[in-house]
Amino acid sequence: MNKKKSIRIPQARLAMAAAWLLALSLLLPYIIQGDTRHTGLSLIGETPQIMRVLPLVIAIGLALVFAVMTLAKPRRELLGALCAACAAALVAGIYALLSAKMTADASGALSQPFFIRHLGPGLWLAMLMALIGLVTGLTALRISTAYVVLSAMAAVWLLPILWLVITAFRAEPGAYTTYILPKGYTLDNFTRLFTETSQFAFPRWYLNTLIVAVFTCLITTSLVLMISYAFSRLRFPTRKLFMNAGLILTMFPGFMSMIAVYHILKAIGLAKSLISLILVYSGGGALGYFIAKGFFDTIPRSLDEAATIDGANKNQIFWKIILPSSKPIVVYTAITAFIAPWVDFIFVSVIMKDDYQNYTVALGLYRMLEREHIYEYFTRFCAGAVLVAIPITLLFIKIQKFYVEGVTGGAVKG
Amino acid sequence: MAEKTLIAPDKRRGFLSELLHMFSSGDWATRLSFFVMGFGCLLRHQVIKGLLFLASQALFIWYLIGFAWQYLSKFNTLGTIGMHREWSEARQIYVRTPGDNSMLILLFSVFSILVLIGFLGLWRASVRACYKAQRHHQAGVRPPRFMEDIKSLVNERFHGTLLTLPTLMAFAFTILPTIFMILIAFTNFDADHQPPGNLFTWVGFENFANLFNLKGGAATAMGNTFSGIFGWTMVWAVIATFTNYLFGMIVAIMINQKGIRLKGMWRTIFVITIAVPQFVSLMLMSQILHDQGPLNTLLKQWGFIEQNIPFLTNTLNARITVLVVNLWVGIPFSMLITSGILMNIPRDLYESASIDGATPVRMFFSITLPYMLFVTTPYLITAFVGNINNFNVIFLLTRGGPLVTEYYQAGKTDLLVTWLYKLTVDQQDYSLASTIGIFVFVISATLSLLVYNLSGSARKEEEFQ
Repeated sequence: MNKKKSIRIPQARLAMAAAWLLALSLLLPYIIQGDTRHTGLSLIGETPQIMRVLPLVIAIGLALVFAVMTLAKPRRELLGALCAACAAALVAGIYALLSAKMTADASGALSQPFFIRHLGPGLWLAMLMALIGLVTGLTALRISTAYVVLSAMAAVWLLPILWLVITAFRAEPGAYTTYILPKGYTLDNFTRLFTETSQFAFPRWYLNTLIVAVFTCLITTSLVLMISYAFSRLRFPTRKLFMNAGLILTMFPGFMSMIAVYHILKAIGLAKSLISLILVYSGGGALGYFIAKGFFDTIPRSLDEAATIDGANKNQIFWKIILPSSKPIVVYTAITAFIAPWVDFIFVSVIMKDDYQNYTVALGLYRMLEREHIYEYFTRFCAGAVLVAIPITLLFIKIQKFYVEGVTGGAVKG
Repeated sequence: MAEKTLIAPDKRRGFLSELLHMFSSGDWATRLSFFVMGFGCLLRHQVIKGLLFLASQALFIWYLIGFAWQYLSKFNTLGTIGMHREWSEARQIYVRTPGDNSMLILLFSVFSILVLIGFLGLWRASVRACYKAQRHHQAGVRPPRFMEDIKSLVNERFHGTLLTLPTLMAFAFTILPTIFMILIAFTNFDADHQPPGNLFTWVGFENFANLFNLKGGAATAMGNTFSGIFGWTMVWAVIATFTNYLFGMIVAIMINQKGIRLKGMWRTIFVITIAVPQFVSLMLMSQILHDQGPLNTLLKQWGFIEQNIPFLTNTLNARITVLVVNLWVGIPFSMLITSGILMNIPRDLYESASIDGATPVRMFFSITLPYMLFVTTPYLITAFVGNINNFNVIFLLTRGGPLVTEYYQAGKTDLLVTWLYKLTVDQQDYSLASTIGIFVFVISATLSLLVYNLSGSARKEEEFQ
């Protein structure tokens, strides 16, 4: 493995050609408005600045230098540097493109406000060639081009999350601003969540959710283990009937029965209480016993049989044999059950109605975005969301690996 | 061994024939036990057991007369007297008097019927126990003591111990509500018939007729809405399932391919978006995509557009937007799920293909895709059912909007479930909502049965162990 991989020569030549074309693009018009044309080169020296091409020009220059050096001496390091320069040119090109309107309009050098159709072929060619140079260069180096795609995707997936975090620290109120980066940063959104509790009792809700989550976690885990052990290991006449009933019951849309659940809870005097929430979430969580059952099915039965011969009863088999070998499924079940109360806002809204004191964070945060609150509370919503998302993200990353195996096993094996 | 032979003859009989058999071959004590529960046990040294049976019978009769009858007797009409004014002699004025409450009548009737069914089971168990005691008696064997029965609860009858509590919970929070709501579909329980002020009553299949336009003639608003929403639900489910699956698999292939470093990091980046609660990430998305939201602002600042794009307020745009955002939500999931399976594809298939000079694209379509489709068909159908019921993405992004006047209480991106939710929570139109719920259930159940048969887990379960 230590042996250096050789360079693919044809692709390396393509990358060098792309670098040359990249440089040539500077001679083409970057901005065309009517009869006025600004080429890439002419834009460099303009004061005030019309387009922010300086980073692009530097990157192109470097790409050209490395292309020449690679031509003279085809070495991995030089080709790698060429790729890096192309990547830099690509980013700089996008930067120039996105900042074009602001810079151009501010400079006052153009006769009309800038619009994307005023962009000349130069910048487009530059970005295209930078991309081609990067891709062919990576191919020549035998490095997967998937990195380019993955990086782009990672940006798309992370940007909304990043926006959430930034907004949580934003000093100005309002749901959205006409600018991207906040004008001021502050921790106020977090502190006011915990101090201004007259209308949105966030600390109380956080505590409610924690209590509900802990009890739901304990009850659901016990229930799931009981059900799965019974279905996986015990054989009794009504087993198939029970399993089919469990399967069918999960297929009715849950919302349909919410109202009935509310009236049942009211009839036994538990409506609008945290206990009712715990019961509802535990009942719902227990229906997801399929994954745990699938896991128990994979523990060899010969272990049970050996234990039975040694005189253990079914109860002891569960505690001594099944439970010790199912730590991952216990962790998985517990964490999923713990997360449920943090993310549900529907059941809790039906059960609690207007009883603010017994809300959970999810419903409370959801309410912050109602029309009459959104302007004042949006930044606080983001702060609260960050506080909820952090523990859940950490827990989720912990069960991620098992999640894959569990869900896959369950889905494929049925 | 003796235990087995004693009960063996009854094992394969049906519910009624077993009872008949026990009645005909039982002695007078066993026959009396059909009416006085636990009598045979009391007579044959199983005093505690017998007393427990007897107590449960007394309790049941007390429940039936004291509580259940007042509701069960009105089950066929769901109540006749609404809230009314009654002359009060003591106060010399008319006072508002609560009449029947259709909802409580229906709820407690269903509850009582479930209790009755449970009691029937208990009753059979008691008759069985008495019959068994008789057989033991005739064979000259001492029937098991109470403590021995208790002990069997952690061994031979451990399933009873384990499943009692879950079953009770399922009855209270799943079965009872579900039956209740199924029955609601055959009533006129809507905003105009809200107990206790107004009564509702049985209407037969009228709700179904309205929804599916079975009456003929011009389509009703409800029928129109239903066909429109059902069509969009199917289009949504098909596109959402396949795009997510395909792109998720492509991402999984990219991350898992040989030579990609930091696999864990890439995976974690996508997992973070799963871990952030959907009500946060999707509401954030709906803010970002708002008409005056950051995305439109940015696009204008970049000079890409001159007017705001109505991402969520124009029918076609909104539909495309929810599908695209669903990719953002769903790709990480399908990436996680497919990557496990991808690693199981036999390596030699690829090796021989690359010797034959196949390109990566060719290999994807000739090896990866057929293999994955074969292995993950059950998952695909499950995902399809999940998408039919995909409440969060639609509700949090568009709330079903844009609303249109030709739809009854629904918008152009509403799925059947979000419509159901609005009808229940906002409109209190329970009967219509239940009818839709039953329809959704029929679709999901049919597809899931298909999964069950395809995966063949019913057959393989035993041999797998």
